[in-house]
Amino acid sequence: MKNSKEDRSQFLRIISHIRAMFYIFIDEVKNIFKDRGVVILVILAVLVYPLLYCSLYINETLVDVPVAVVDESHTPKSAEFSRHLDATRDVHVAEKMATMQEAEQVFKEGKVHGIIYIPADFDKKLNKGEQAVVSVYSDMSSFLYYRAMVLSTNYVVLDMGEEIQVARLNAIGITGEQQAMVSDPIPYESVILYNEGMGFASFLMPAILILIIHQTLFFGIGMAAGTAREENRFHELVSSSVHRGGTFRVILGKSLDFFSLYLLWSVYLLGFIPWLFNLPHIGNPFTLLEFVIPFLLASIFFSMTVSVFVPSREIQMILLLFFSLILLFLSGISWPQSSINGFCKAFSWLFPATFGIQAYFKINTMGASIHKVGFEQIGLWIQTAVYFATTLLVYHWQIKKSIVKSKKDLEE
Amino acid sequence: MSTNILSAFIKTFKRELKRIGSRPIYFLGTVGVMFFCYIFFLTFMKEGQPIRMPIAVVDFDNSSLSRQFLRNLDATQQAEIVTHLNSYTEARKEMQKGNIYAFVVIKDNFEAEVMANRRPKMTFYVNDAYLVAGSLLLKDITYMSELTAGAMKQKVLKAKGMEDSRIMGIIQPISLDTHLIGNPWANYGVYLLNVLLPGVLQIMILMLTVFAIGVELKEKTSRLWLRTADNSMFAALMGKLMPYTIIFTILGIIGNMLLYWYMGYPMNSHIGWMFLTTFLYVMAYQAVGTLIIGITPVLRDGVTLAAFYGLLGFTYAGFTFPIEQLPYIAQIFSELFPIRYYFKIYVNQALNGLSIGYSVDYLIALLAFTVLPLFVYIRLKKAAIYQNYPIK
Repeated sequence: MKNSKEDRSQFLRIISHIRAMFYIFIDEVKNIFKDRGVVILVILAVLVYPLLYCSLYINETLVDVPVAVVDESHTPKSAEFSRHLDATRDVHVAEKMATMQEAEQVFKEGKVHGIIYIPADFDKKLNKGEQAVVSVYSDMSSFLYYRAMVLSTNYVVLDMGEEIQVARLNAIGITGEQQAMVSDPIPYESVILYNEGMGFASFLMPAILILIIHQTLFFGIGMAAGTAREENRFHELVSSSVHRGGTFRVILGKSLDFFSLYLLWSVYLLGFIPWLFNLPHIGNPFTLLEFVIPFLLASIFFSMTVSVFVPSREIQMILLLFFSLILLFLSGISWPQSSINGFCKAFSWLFPATFGIQAYFKINTMGASIHKVGFEQIGLWIQTAVYFATTLLVYHWQIKKSIVKSKKDLEE
Repeated sequence: MSTNILSAFIKTFKRELKRIGSRPIYFLGTVGVMFFCYIFFLTFMKEGQPIRMPIAVVDFDNSSLSRQFLRNLDATQQAEIVTHLNSYTEARKEMQKGNIYAFVVIKDNFEAEVMANRRPKMTFYVNDAYLVAGSLLLKDITYMSELTAGAMKQKVLKAKGMEDSRIMGIIQPISLDTHLIGNPWANYGVYLLNVLLPGVLQIMILMLTVFAIGVELKEKTSRLWLRTADNSMFAALMGKLMPYTIIFTILGIIGNMLLYWYMGYPMNSHIGWMFLTTFLYVMAYQAVGTLIIGITPVLRDGVTLAAFYGLLGFTYAGFTFPIEQLPYIAQIFSELFPIRYYFKIYVNQALNGLSIGYSVDYLIALLAFTVLPLFVYIRLKKAAIYQNYPIK
């Protein structure tokens, strides 16, 4: 009998805890939607940014970059070279010039992004059986121009070269098996994995999508905290009316609504958007879910910890917006992780975005299973634990401060 | 009249200096952030190119030929063989884990087949999800394979008693002589930092311009601000913005000096042109910032709008993905970003070393941005007087 009574009271206590938590949850949801600034960040920005950026980068690779050909050879062979070049997907022969000076002029005017110079002796050398040299000048303002130039000219050189090679070998009586041996003794095949089209959006957007989650949470939670502080009489983060439930409950209540909101957003950002824009999306949905949970938790608690130090609603974004860029580079998707020095690497482990971008990249672009991202996964769970503890600590400190203040206020 | 405006301007200027000293945000948002970024990015990319990126090999042959090839490959600048694996599956797993960016598979009996003229195939796998690492490694491995095959061909043809000039004509009838204009070693730092650092600068200019004006409205000190300027909005704006023009121009020029002098990045015309560009660039962004807070005289909304616009600047500079390859409608908007003109001037002057005549249009475009505050001049003045916008 006594036992069941105890059970009952235990049960009631749990119910009351859950109810209190639920109220904080509802309160916070109301707070989020009341605050236009926060709504813009955690609703509008999350909705619009991926659509905008994916549309901007919808052309994954460069097509028909205009180039100038300077043909001093004026022969059918050099014309063939120019024609082959024009036929590639990457470049387009926009200008045909007689002299290098003319070509330089159109380059300076920005009308072409590369110059191909076919010297006067091009045909002569080919006829004499020697090596002909073609010069390529590439605009380096964007590396994608450079890549388009290299890909297209290499292709033409190999294609035309092969024909000439066969003719020359035939001429000296090397044919059949032996000819193949001379022209290609060790054939090689290069297989491009995971981003077969070498697309720019396929490479950059996965990182941007994770950053959108991380940064809108970071600034959204920060702004909400700033608002709470500004609206509160004592410039407190947590008003005395809410903290009755204890620090633990306040934090769970607050984090739960961001968590549930962003769980929905994750479906949109990490599932729907890659599908819609045909970005790599070979990840298993359950693996993605398994990764998203600690990533969101770590990001939320990280943001909550930092938010305690935000004095007013705008300051965090003013001072830390630039950090989005730092996070992108620290993640190691453009500048490879192997080339990031130890200090920067350790620094990067402070931020959930680092593990988040790597893990998402591996799962959704490269089809990795959850234990292949074990390192990132453990990192995220450690961050979740550590940042939960720090949140607890700083919130506890804030609440204590507010109790002391309100007591003082009462005494006065 | 003009002396009145001048004294009003000086009073506002002095008031703003005091304000800058009163809160840490001004120092942190100017000198603090910019120096952090200068130090961070310049150390981050001081190598110029990522070197010694991890790759793996699956060498089923383990012959002197295969080992020679792998030694050569390991000696290239970009690739470092970190592990020898036993199967394709294993290598693929390592790649998914992100431990390697590429791997080479050499078949069993490779050497024997080469010797027997049976032309064994070599396969390499490159992870291009990491676009930079992938592209660089693909180039390195292809180059090494070509070199190895070339040596082989040379040997065969030499045995036939052929002379060297003819041999090259057969191995490679047409060769390419590639010149990289302005950045001959394809240095990534040159390519990225010349735009990234001004990119951070524009974000900070936008943010602090919006803040410096917006905070007066938010904290209802705007009437005092206007009164200090003897109710001249012109003097009020000039006096408020000028301190930041000076600070940001100095910070921007320090950035120029770090890139072109300290790092030795290409500067193929006079560096003075970049100093001038930086000055105009700072003013252009201050004008845009003023426009933004004028459109929405609510600090919070202004900051959000400025953040959105500032981040788009990185796309619209056009250095990663060229503007003319964006969808057509998106291309039009590039005109609205001063960073676009900065980038063009930098390419013309620093990278390509053209005469300044080619950049005059862009310099004028930057200057043209400075008329933007006129569009919100009255609106902003009213907001300052009536303080009739929500402060949250």
